[in-house]
Amino acid sequence: MSADRTDPASADPDGPGSADNPDRTRRAAATRLRILQAAYDCVARWGFSKTTIEDAARAAQVSRATLYRAFPGGRDELLAAVVAWENARFFGRLYAEVRDAATLEEVLELGLVFAHRGIRDHEVLQRVLETEPELLLGKLTVEAAGTQKMVAAFLAPYLARAPLAPGVDASEAADFLARMALSYISAPGRWDLTDRAQVARLVRGELLGGILLPATRPAARSG
Amino acid sequence: MRSASWAPERWHGGGTPLPPVVRHLGTDDRSSSRVRVVDATLRCIARFGLHKTTVDDVAREAGVSRATLYRLFPGGKDAVVRAVVETETARLFSDLGAAMGEARDLDTLLVAAIVGAARRLSSHAALTYLLEHEPGTVLPHLAFSGLDRVLGVAGSFAAPFLGRWLGPDDAVRAAEWAARIVVSYLACPRDGVDLTEPADVRHLVETFVVPGIQALALRGPEGRVGAG
Repeated sequence: MSADRTDPASADPDGPGSADNPDRTRRAAATRLRILQAAYDCVARWGFSKTTIEDAARAAQVSRATLYRAFPGGRDELLAAVVAWENARFFGRLYAEVRDAATLEEVLELGLVFAHRGIRDHEVLQRVLETEPELLLGKLTVEAAGTQKMVAAFLAPYLARAPLAPGVDASEAADFLARMALSYISAPGRWDLTDRAQVARLVRGELLGGILLPATRPAARSG
Repeated sequence: MRSASWAPERWHGGGTPLPPVVRHLGTDDRSSSRVRVVDATLRCIARFGLHKTTVDDVAREAGVSRATLYRLFPGGKDAVVRAVVETETARLFSDLGAAMGEARDLDTLLVAAIVGAARRLSSHAALTYLLEHEPGTVLPHLAFSGLDRVLGVAGSFAAPFLGRWLGPDDAVRAAEWAARIVVSYLACPRDGVDLTEPADVRHLVETFVVPGIQALALRGPEGRVGAG
């Protein structure tokens, strides 16, 4: 153990990392991850309102003190972090599905199809939405601006390669498409996002109709 | 011209039944007392929120007795809140309908609808209070199945107006799209896009929305370009 008593972090093997101690940083990150995974498992089993700090600590096999060091804001900070974490994992899974898309049309079509499926088949999300949506939606709303920027940034290179209609600004189009894509994923309205023909029509007609040059607007795939 | 006005197409879809909400606005005594209670509730919510507003607060603010309030709303606070939502929705649609009815082309209609909705929603005292202090009451309607319902109502309301230029399916989809835009930019504002400013909305409508609607219509229901 370090003999430096003036550095409170030095007495704590799982405390905040520092540039001088990459091991401590790694351990702190690993602990944080373990706690997030365990808290997520608790929420999956019992829901948000029944998940306590003690539940999460026990499931992660850490002490309460360790948990509070990782999440000084306590239960509220932990639950917000769980939402942010699963949100990031959701988009990570989505990225894996769409990364091979070559064109803007393909990436949007694949994105809508897989994201819709991912939400529909997400058991924890669906259960929370049914039983206790307010907390989740509050946290997701906090995430929303960042998620939107992330999707817009992801679409930007596809827009840079695409033949844009005159007067269309690529960054404005990226922002607009990100908003609309997230809106359709969240609430498809009258569109059936399990129907590939409808998705093609939505993407190539409604979403890209004003963005791409008319002469190069691709025909929808038949069937 | 990408934003050219459309030649009006008559939609022979027959009369569209008014959404049930509109029937609540009547002119008899019972109706006007109900409206007085609704408006009193809105004032209470704007001041101290939904959770803290009691039936007694509302009765006092409306100048009616508790007994009268329960006679008008046997379901108590829940029934009052439902009536508030229905009445405010009807009022919103009434305002928007007036503006949309005057529009002479599709672009202008969409701009009027979006600006009108944005102005009313962003200046709504009770809604503003709730978003700030009790977001749990509003957020479930802005995502997932709650948003689907809002889009459904908005779509049904606006579709007949859009039916002057679009077939019935495309009219509904275009109406939903306008509602999505309102929700998105109000919930998550973007620098330089003020939905209460007609010029900003016209730019969005002319750049993204109307060309998208035109492209949809060109594709036809099966998605094949040129299909009727």
